[in-house]
Amino acid sequence: MLKVSGLKVRYGNREALHGIDLEVGTGEIVTLVGSNGAGKTTTLKAISGILRATGGQVEFGGERIDRLSPHAIIARGVVHVPEGRLLFADMTVMEHLELGALRAPSGKAGYARRLDWVFELFPVLKERVAQRAGTMSGGQQQMVAIARGLMAEPKCLMLDEPSLGLAPIVVDTLADTILTLHRAGIAILLVEQRVDLALRLADRAYVLETGRVVLSGAADALAEDDRVREAYLGA
Amino acid sequence: MIKGRLPLVVAVLGILPFVVGNAYLQHMLVLWAIYALLALSLNMIVGYLGELTFGHAAFFGIGAYTSAILSMNYGLPVWLGPFAAAIVAAFFGAVIGYVALRIVGPQFAILTLGFGSILYTITNYWVDLTRGPMGISNIPPFSLPGLDIDFTRADRMYYVALVVLLLVAYGCRALMTSRTGRAFIAVRENAPLAASTGIDVFHTKLLGFTIATALAGVGGALYGHYLRVITPDLMSLQYVAALIIMVIVGGKGTIIGPIIGAGIYVALLEALRVVGSLRLVVFAALLTLCVIFLPGGLVSLWRRYAGRQAAGGAS
Repeated sequence: MLKVSGLKVRYGNREALHGIDLEVGTGEIVTLVGSNGAGKTTTLKAISGILRATGGQVEFGGERIDRLSPHAIIARGVVHVPEGRLLFADMTVMEHLELGALRAPSGKAGYARRLDWVFELFPVLKERVAQRAGTMSGGQQQMVAIARGLMAEPKCLMLDEPSLGLAPIVVDTLADTILTLHRAGIAILLVEQRVDLALRLADRAYVLETGRVVLSGAADALAEDDRVREAYLGA
Repeated sequence: MIKGRLPLVVAVLGILPFVVGNAYLQHMLVLWAIYALLALSLNMIVGYLGELTFGHAAFFGIGAYTSAILSMNYGLPVWLGPFAAAIVAAFFGAVIGYVALRIVGPQFAILTLGFGSILYTITNYWVDLTRGPMGISNIPPFSLPGLDIDFTRADRMYYVALVVLLLVAYGCRALMTSRTGRAFIAVRENAPLAASTGIDVFHTKLLGFTIATALAGVGGALYGHYLRVITPDLMSLQYVAALIIMVIVGGKGTIIGPIIGAGIYVALLEALRVVGSLRLVVFAALLTLCVIFLPGGLVSLWRRYAGRQAAGGAS
């Protein structure tokens, strides 16, 4: 469904991605793992159009999307939930959800239905629709960020470090949520520093190092791979 | 802040000319209302979109010249002047915004300074159209079709300016509670995040910038038909600075702030007339102090006070 080939990105003179190839199939969970600075976030930003690729191409559903603007890419169903659960601190939960729905294909007609679904996933948000996002706990903020992404009706949801800074018990809830979205048929591209968690959730994985894919394969096979175990799982 | 008290505020504003009863003070009220309108339009760029512009006075001037020239040379009814001014100013705003808004931050501010200077220079030298530095005088006063009201009188013109100001203030409020307004705030707070939630950052900014320039054009038209003489100085840096002071000192990103800021500016401008051009030093000091000690402007004082009241009430 999502096919990235030879993707290159530069920051100024420095090339950060040297030609990434990856694929996410319909309904799959795929994870990108790698250390800091490996290019995981840059890859997501390039797919969602926030960064311009300097080479290679991105296809979604057979259509090239790497020359489209971010809002056009979202309208096609590729939705990015950025790192650090970025929110607009002074806006309420409800305002975030409305913003998220800006480019949803089903428009106003589907709005109420999606809202119900999001509240079903995150009941706590329903109680807090009028609360300002800046005053919520880390876990709740992450829920708002994901819920905002879901309001855009993603076919492929890209989550960047969703577990960052969250308490272990909240991380478990988050993992359940990701599996629920998976069962709902949404393809997920997950960037995660918690490699153990990522490999447990994902069908397939890519290992990135300094802007290159150095290893890829089925997630459970990679979890057994000696190089991965040594470098990322601390075994 | 004025929620629920709005009818009272409108009533007070409505009877103000009778209360002051003095033509000179009434004249200042008209200036206040027009400046407040201009400050609100600048606030859309500075307060809501979060971009600083040094070119806003140019659109004020374009509005003033458009309405004056069309009504004097082309027989446009004066009451249509502000609409024509809005259209022409918005046209220039859209074209300049289309070019300038591709960059943001300080570079954008400098670019608007450049465009503003270009428009000022053109106005100053295109003598055939604008009469250049001599300016245009004997501009017809404002009029309404079918009504025989003498709008050269400040107490009459005040109501025209006040109605336009209230309409614009209401429009700003309606805009900022709409999806579009929320998109403005999202772009201001974090443009990359706004983009990643599906907001078209560039076109959102262009829309805000164009609306703001259209409103500045309306302000210019009213100003021209009221003072009945305009010169290219309307587009000069002095007016740019004045509008920025009104917005920052009053409180950017709010509706009441720029309106209050305009009042302070007009009042100080008159009160300090005795010190001559030293006034400008006072304004500069006021702006600097405000930026350092009161970045939210004067309205933030009220917020602090109200916050303390609320906290006190709860304990």
